[in-house]
Amino acid sequence: MTIDFLSTGIALLTFFGISALMALSLNLEYGVAGIPNFGKALFVSVGAYTAALTYTYLLPLLAGKTPIYPCGANLTDALQLRTGIIREAMGIGLLNFLLTLVIAAVIGGLIGYLASYPALRLKEEWYLALVLLVGSEIVRILVRGYEPIICAHNGISGLSQPFVALGNPKLASFLFALVILALVALVFIFSERLIHSPYGRLLKAMRENERVAQSLGKRITRTRAQIMVIGSAIAAVSGVLFVVNLGFASANDYVVALTLDVWVMVVIGGIGNNRGALLGAFIITVLDRVTAIAAIQLDQIGFQLEFTYIRFILFGLIILLMLRYRPQGLLPEKPLTTEAHSLLKTQAQK
Amino acid sequence: MSLLTLEHVTKSFGNLRAVHDVSLEIPKGKIIGLIGPNGSGKSTLLNVISALNPADSGRILFEGEEISKRSTDEIFGLGLVRSFQDPSLFFKMTVLDNSLLPVKQQQGEKPWRAPFHHLWRKQEAAAALESSRLLEQLLIRKHYDALASDLSGGQMKLLELGRSLMGNPKLLLLDEPTAGVAPKLAYTIFENIAQMRENLGLTFLIVEHRLEILFDFVDSLYVMHMGQVLTEGSPAEISANSAVREIYFGE
Ligand SMILES: Nc1ncnc2c1ncn2[C@@H]1O[C@H](COP(=O)(O)OP(=O)(O)OP(=O)(O)O)[C@@H](O)[C@H]1O
Ligand SMILES: [Mg+2]
Repeated sequence: MTIDFLSTGIALLTFFGISALMALSLNLEYGVAGIPNFGKALFVSVGAYTAALTYTYLLPLLAGKTPIYPCGANLTDALQLRTGIIREAMGIGLLNFLLTLVIAAVIGGLIGYLASYPALRLKEEWYLALVLLVGSEIVRILVRGYEPIICAHNGISGLSQPFVALGNPKLASFLFALVILALVALVFIFSERLIHSPYGRLLKAMRENERVAQSLGKRITRTRAQIMVIGSAIAAVSGVLFVVNLGFASANDYVVALTLDVWVMVVIGGIGNNRGALLGAFIITVLDRVTAIAAIQLDQIGFQLEFTYIRFILFGLIILLMLRYRPQGLLPEKPLTTEAHSLLKTQAQK
Repeated sequence: MSLLTLEHVTKSFGNLRAVHDVSLEIPKGKIIGLIGPNGSGKSTLLNVISALNPADSGRILFEGEEISKRSTDEIFGLGLVRSFQDPSLFFKMTVLDNSLLPVKQQQGEKPWRAPFHHLWRKQEAAAALESSRLLEQLLIRKHYDALASDLSGGQMKLLELGRSLMGNPKLLLLDEPTAGVAPKLAYTIFENIAQMRENLGLTFLIVEHRLEILFDFVDSLYVMHMGQVLTEGSPAEISANSAVREIYFGE
């Protein structure tokens, strides 16, 4: 068997970009602001479900057609309607895709805001982690049993990325990867600028000592809510990209393991460091792909290895080694925040 | 005129009356001491005033306005700034960031403005210069980019004082501002406090166990014992008071 390096490379970049968005959002929430969001999969799934709904209803409307209920007897008709529009009208597909990103960000932000409410009440942060973890799983099970969103446990397919209309799969996936990487760059720059500002200073203070920050005039509950809104909006955007890349939305993808993957990325990369989050996302994506390919190759020469087990063992090992030898992550957080420091530096040199 | 007034303030933890029926007045521009044996309720009283542990009953008035129902961050906003007995710096942040955090009305602290640095650069620079002057006065200017955790115990206390001042306070509630500091530096800290009262017209309520230094700087003192105010008076009156001598020195 030969490996198509170009396609593998593009796929790798695509997965990396999607993971990077998740890692950046968790790094902002936990790394910088200290909110242990163990419900990341939930906020990612919001994007996936939003895409399922826009591809079912918004896309036909944009094309001047009547939407069809996507499940049960209409399944094939609805699927053909979606794929037909995407294949024939790239403009409409693109518009629908962009609107999906925006709508997902808004809904994600809204749900992040609602989720910050238990965060206000739950003073002990590990209770909050638990509530989000369990809440995420509950929502997943509900969606899995409730037909109108993604046809319950059947999932919903035909959520293709807009460039397939070009008729050239390689070019299409390349362009899609570019869009994703552009979004990563945007979120990275936004997050960096946020951290290196008085707001970033406030987040770090809140992370370190809430009580003291409060007695220095900071509104902790409001700030936490803001961060949950921003982080969840980014997570929902990554969810859209995730599902549109697969072309298929299934509640089985948003399990706790997804949340844990994102945590592993942030922990090995460097808690509080955006570059660390990117590095962590890259390492985990590569490992993930390599183990997947290795499992297939080994399978072909007769070794029966369960891919998920290799993965779990590998990730577990990495976490243990990191905690033992480099708990601050590969790229530790830098303390300086705003330009005020360089100002005092030049002042001192005069 | 009284800047801060407490009327019959009570705070219990379960059966423990940590603060019981405390009334006191802090006149504007004065340095008032608050002393008492360990566990007499001094820190709890500061927690009650700053609403970290809101009072069970009684009234608290700041500049004539009732503040008992206000939240901790609002009380700071009114100009009532406190420090803590335990080390309470942000140790993983720089000295400069610690001092800039309390600055009020920071444009760059709004998330929708923060990413656009030109919207707050000027304000940040002005605050940094102010902080620079203050840190200079407190002898820790050269450590501006060190982590707070790298300062010595005395420097930490100086930074804590500086940080409180950056919040533009009217009244400072200081909980043992010289705890764990060498006597000479403790004196320096109190000299700084006296100077700030002089130059900025600030008012202080200071909890302190170092009576020999405290008595040199305060205008008057309240003595707490088992959650209640035992007595009030000038340093001379307090040191002559037999009840105070009894609880403090077992005389
Ligand atoms: N959050 C709390 N929960 C329960 N009990 C408390 C709490 N805070 C203080 N106490 C109790 O209230 C009493 C007064 O404590 P407080 O810290 O106010 O004393 P203090 O005068 O500041 O003493 P020290 O000089 O040792 O600092 C003590 O018995 C203490 O154990
Ligand atoms: Mg105390």
